[in-house]
Amino acid sequence: MSAYVLRRFMHLIPTFLGATFLAFLVIQLAPGDFVTRLELDPSYDRAQIENFRRLFGLDQPFTVQYAKWLSGFLKGYLGLSLSYQTDVWHVLKPRILNSMVLVISSIVFIYVVSIPIGIYSALRQYSWGDRFWTTFAFFGLAIPNFFFALLMLYFALWLKDTFGHEIFPIGGMRSLYIDGADFFQAPKWRQWLNVLWHAVLPVIVAGTAGTAGLTRVMRTQMLETKMQDYVRTARAKGLSERVVIYKHILRNAVIPIVASIGFLLPELFGGAGFVEVVMAWPGLTPLILDAIFSIDVYIIMGSIAISVVLLMIGNLLSDLLLAWVDPRIRYS
Amino acid sequence: MSDTHDTNLREGLGERSQSYWQKAWMRFRRHPFARWAGGVLVVLYLLALFADFVAPYPEAQSFRKLQFVRPTKIYFKTEDGRWSRPYVCKVERSRNPRTFKLEFKENCDEKHTIYFFVRGSKYKFLGFLPMDLHLMGGPWLVEEKAYLFLWGTDDFGRDLFSRIWFGARISLTIGILASLVALILGVTLGGISGYYAGSRMHIVRGVFRSPFRRPALPEEGAGEEGWLSGSSLARGLREASRNRQLPGFLLGLIVQYAFWFTAAYVVWITMQGFLSISTGLERYVAATVFALLLAYMAWQVLAGEVAIDVDDLIMRSTEILAAIPGLFLLIILSGMLAQYDLPSSTRFLLVLVILSFVGWGGLARNIRGFVLQLREMEYAQAAKALGAGDGRILFRHIIPGTLGYLIVVVSLAIPGYILAESGLSFLGLGIQEPSSSWGLLLSKAQQGGIVALKSRPWLFLPGFFIFVSILTYNYLGDALRDALDPRAEH
Repeated sequence: MSAYVLRRFMHLIPTFLGATFLAFLVIQLAPGDFVTRLELDPSYDRAQIENFRRLFGLDQPFTVQYAKWLSGFLKGYLGLSLSYQTDVWHVLKPRILNSMVLVISSIVFIYVVSIPIGIYSALRQYSWGDRFWTTFAFFGLAIPNFFFALLMLYFALWLKDTFGHEIFPIGGMRSLYIDGADFFQAPKWRQWLNVLWHAVLPVIVAGTAGTAGLTRVMRTQMLETKMQDYVRTARAKGLSERVVIYKHILRNAVIPIVASIGFLLPELFGGAGFVEVVMAWPGLTPLILDAIFSIDVYIIMGSIAISVVLLMIGNLLSDLLLAWVDPRIRYS
Repeated sequence: MSDTHDTNLREGLGERSQSYWQKAWMRFRRHPFARWAGGVLVVLYLLALFADFVAPYPEAQSFRKLQFVRPTKIYFKTEDGRWSRPYVCKVERSRNPRTFKLEFKENCDEKHTIYFFVRGSKYKFLGFLPMDLHLMGGPWLVEEKAYLFLWGTDDFGRDLFSRIWFGARISLTIGILASLVALILGVTLGGISGYYAGSRMHIVRGVFRSPFRRPALPEEGAGEEGWLSGSSLARGLREASRNRQLPGFLLGLIVQYAFWFTAAYVVWITMQGFLSISTGLERYVAATVFALLLAYMAWQVLAGEVAIDVDDLIMRSTEILAAIPGLFLLIILSGMLAQYDLPSSTRFLLVLVILSFVGWGGLARNIRGFVLQLREMEYAQAAKALGAGDGRILFRHIIPGTLGYLIVVVSLAIPGYILAESGLSFLGLGIQEPSSSWGLLLSKAQQGGIVALKSRPWLFLPGFFIFVSILTYNYLGDALRDALDPRAEH
């Protein structure tokens, strides 16, 4: 087992190098660099701009820049954000934490909602309830989340106009004031409550597609397991339906779902994507978009490198989890 | 003999034998929504094809003074309650004297009847047939006495109804084209990967005999122990001339050496640059690493021999692609390229290439799995025994075996690409003005702040179309999967 893990780790090194190099290469596709923008600003003169270039290492060939970045990364330093003029990690950290609030709540939402629905749908296949949830799943998978986020904002606005006060906040992550006092002076639990209240609509948006997908997977898994011989045997030996469903069907049906938890790791970090942009949630995706437009190389590289590492570890964890949950699988 | 008798007997009983495709078609038709979904898609594609005809206005025509005008009301009754032909009133802009806000009011002094199949602005149908026939309008529309904005206007005062159908052209075709390009890439690379899995290809051949190489086996013959004649290069040369593949071998050799010398040059430049900007421990470590790397390269070119599996190479590339989260790769790639000023047709191609570049990896992996299985089948072996070339075996015998799978994959990939394109355009990284696509049109809903959204609900319509097209493609893909999966017994 440990030999397997070690081999997998060795395998990850070229993948990591390839992926980060590819990302670096892609960033080089942009016209000009970060300093190009300053050239249009009349308050900087030529010498200053050349100085900036040298300072940021932008005058070196890009392979040198990559090597320098890589050597920094190996030392645990993600580089300097050009537009924020500070350590990349200081810029990324609060954004990642913000994203995590959204992502953790939507993962909980996805699992809590979809597993019971999947079980219900499979046990009452082709009933009206099953049909309803199947339709729901198709709709949930089809709705683009940026469109859904806009609809949710519209909904929040409508609620506000109808009831005269904000039932749900319209975008953002926290209120400026809590009970008239500044947000940061309020007690901690009030701050958290406020953030969670802001998170309700984004979580619904971010979680819908996942819920729809997982519902389908759960249903298919349950249906497949239901047909197995050992389930028939369990019934034949006179076990109660309850025991058959929960001990024989359910436990085997959730195996791949448990294993897929490893894939959530990069998602935890990667943020909720479009939702953050549309609903003004100060997460990672809006930061990356800004960084792209200003060609802030190291912000992009830092977030990509971290997510590549997490993705690879997540895949590895998934495989190990699968071996742990499913006794039929052995890595030797 | 008894076999044919058996079939005849069954046919006599009125049971026709059905091919795989006939059965699949039957199963497809049994799916509850597949036909509805197919119908909706056909209508959408027809509307996109006839966009010039359906749309009252050309794609880029804007009325600068009529921004965010609500949908034009169509009257079926006159003021005194009598039914009449549908007509519209002119929309006029005015400023509220108290709030100074822009307001649009209808002026119903003159009624403008909507006519169908009328002459309007000129366009080229299918790009070459000059026409001026439009589905609806009237002389008043051309003379701009009144306006027909069925679904309102956007921030430039352009008719949303017209732009949705022009946008449909891009949004609906980019999905198909991107999945086809990804399919071609995936099938070719996945096919090669699976077919040649296990056979090794030399990426470098040393010029001299490696001192660590064990002595030649007796059957290799004499005269192959010298510093030159015992080298990997000389052995390869002899083998190639024996198999009459000398030109190909020489070409490969040139490519190999060109690659290795370029690589060594790049490492050399990098080393120089890196050492010039680093200090202390980092400098020494880096110097060692670079020196080792250069030494390794030199050694391989001089006396080494490296052979790799093509399969390994291709699969590693797909792994690298898969290691970067898809959304990140997509927005970074298109974000960097969106900063160039490109004509809209080039941008369309660019988005297409980006989408298929990000998407081919998963497909290639699956195809490889199939090919690995199918190349061991008897018919593939038989083709080989008959003397068919590799390309023929791969593309005429093996790939057709994956056809059912390919159809399902493509039909399920298309909605993903539609979603990706509209997402990119929504962020301003995909299709850009003055072209239109549904994602770009939807992004107008965000303009002017969130509160403005409340007063312009018609700007949500493009999003609804994205939703409908993805939904119908999903239903279609689902039905196809049920139909083409041979294990499916419903």
